[in-house]
Amino acid sequence: MIGLLELRRRKLQFGLIALVVTLVSYLVLMINGLGVGLNIQAGSVLRNFNADGIAYSDNAGLSVIRSELSSEAVTAIADADGGDRTAPLGYVAANYRRTSGVVKSAAFLGFVPGTIGEPDLVKGRILAADDERALLADSRFLAVADLEVGDTVSVTVRLVTEEFVIVGEIDEGAFFFQPAVYVLLSTWQRLRYGESGDGQPAASIVLVKGGDLVPGEGPGYKIVGKGTAFNNIEGVQGQQSTVQALRVFGFVIGGLVIAVFFYVITLQKVTQIGILKAVGASSMFVFRQLVIQVLFVTSVAVAVSVLLAWATALALRQLPDGVPIAFTTQTYVLTVAGLFVVGLLATLISGRQVLKVDPIIALGQQQ
Amino acid sequence: MNETLLLSASGLSKTYGSGETAVAAVRDVDVTARRGEFIAIVGPSGSGKTTLLAMIGGLLTPTSGSVMIEGRDVAKLGARERARYRRESVGYVFQANNLLPFLTARENMTVVAAIGGGDRRAAGRRADLILEELGISNRTGALATELSGGERQRVAIGRSLMNDPALILVDEPTASLDSARGRQVVELLAFEVRSRDKLGIMVTHDDAMASLADRFIELSDGSLVGAGSSG
Repeated sequence: MIGLLELRRRKLQFGLIALVVTLVSYLVLMINGLGVGLNIQAGSVLRNFNADGIAYSDNAGLSVIRSELSSEAVTAIADADGGDRTAPLGYVAANYRRTSGVVKSAAFLGFVPGTIGEPDLVKGRILAADDERALLADSRFLAVADLEVGDTVSVTVRLVTEEFVIVGEIDEGAFFFQPAVYVLLSTWQRLRYGESGDGQPAASIVLVKGGDLVPGEGPGYKIVGKGTAFNNIEGVQGQQSTVQALRVFGFVIGGLVIAVFFYVITLQKVTQIGILKAVGASSMFVFRQLVIQVLFVTSVAVAVSVLLAWATALALRQLPDGVPIAFTTQTYVLTVAGLFVVGLLATLISGRQVLKVDPIIALGQQQ
Repeated sequence: MNETLLLSASGLSKTYGSGETAVAAVRDVDVTARRGEFIAIVGPSGSGKTTLLAMIGGLLTPTSGSVMIEGRDVAKLGARERARYRRESVGYVFQANNLLPFLTARENMTVVAAIGGGDRRAAGRRADLILEELGISNRTGALATELSGGERQRVAIGRSLMNDPALILVDEPTASLDSARGRQVVELLAFEVRSRDKLGIMVTHDDAMASLADRFIELSDGSLVGAGSSG
């Protein structure tokens, strides 16, 4: 194939193009990785809930932070569902002190052991009913805080500092860009509202699994699916649309880079294309060579950029406060497919130029 | 020489533009030729020599007239059929620098077969054979940019013979060569045309080169003004 032979003989020229496409492709991958990473940081805990829906107080505007459910509402939701597939959950942000002395924030989630609100344990043990000063910490929390199961951590909320023993490790992710920590619901109530008193909310939200309650509403509460709940996490919509805009820009810029480079190359080769056509090559034959070259350059660039992105993600994970960039197989596949599509679309511009080349040019004449 | 007519062009005209800006490049030219003939088209610059060659070779569509080659009117072919005609029935030798610079001498020849979807190995064998005959078998693997002007033209001649076409059309083959090398190239062309029973038509403004042809056609301002035997 002439297209491949040209690639082989013009390594420097095509190598430079591949380098630029690699950088653009790397940028697009990183933007997509950022989108996934931000999603994980924003609410992977919510996505990992063993539930189909989440009940909020009806005046909370689907905000976990603002939602406060009374014990009557929690009971009403449980009764509406039959009672065995709901679980009250409390949320409060609290500061903890790392062993290094640095103060960081964590998402404290109060749950009732034995319900669907109980997280899956990776190491250690689950909380017992009397574990008022114990917690289950996410793997990431332990890693960045340099803590492990059995350690004690001081937690500050509402100007009060308490010591907690880490009794178990979980892998539920993050909530509101903070690592997740699970405590008993009663502990959450104390942290959130102080020592017991009448009229305190019984939970922030209630997890609902199965049944026909999702979506739905009742006296004082509103139930939505996990997808809706995730999209209503504060800042997620804006963050996702920003990432989406960057993603689109990335693809457009990638397409333009490929289009411009190959268009310039095509313009430089007008006489050669004319000669090929003069000796009997069809426009389709010439265009095919162009497509082969674009596919080859894009393949090399994408392969290198995927490796680079993977290595970058690996390196970023080693940092104590990781940059929120994460890759899934789907991220790689969709980004790579997208880059190939824009690359091929970009060749259409050069293809139009190929069609316009008149073989008479080989005789040094213009019609 | 084969007495059957291979080329019969009649009333060939080509006008560029229209209205007041119209330029008649070729006016009402008749040409006939047989296999085994090597014809020179001569005339001053702008006389319509290359335009006539391009119409015969299917690179330009005449404004009027017909170009009958082996019984079919090339002037009436569509774009795809014309590409096929150029691929199968015509071998071109253009002015210098008409090879693809990133291909070797051999690849520049086999590319013609690749375009037609022919057998690669068979094309390679044929290219080797022709390069041997043209006396440049030692330059087979050299890139076009590494070849001298004379070698490039020999490869171009070889390329024109690759698909065993009936017509060999040549446009100013000695434009970038000194007279000695130019003469060698044209003599080689004339030999290949005659020995392979092709019809060769060469555009040249060099009388010395035209004298190597069997006969000449002279154009002036697009019209046929003379014809006769060369030499």
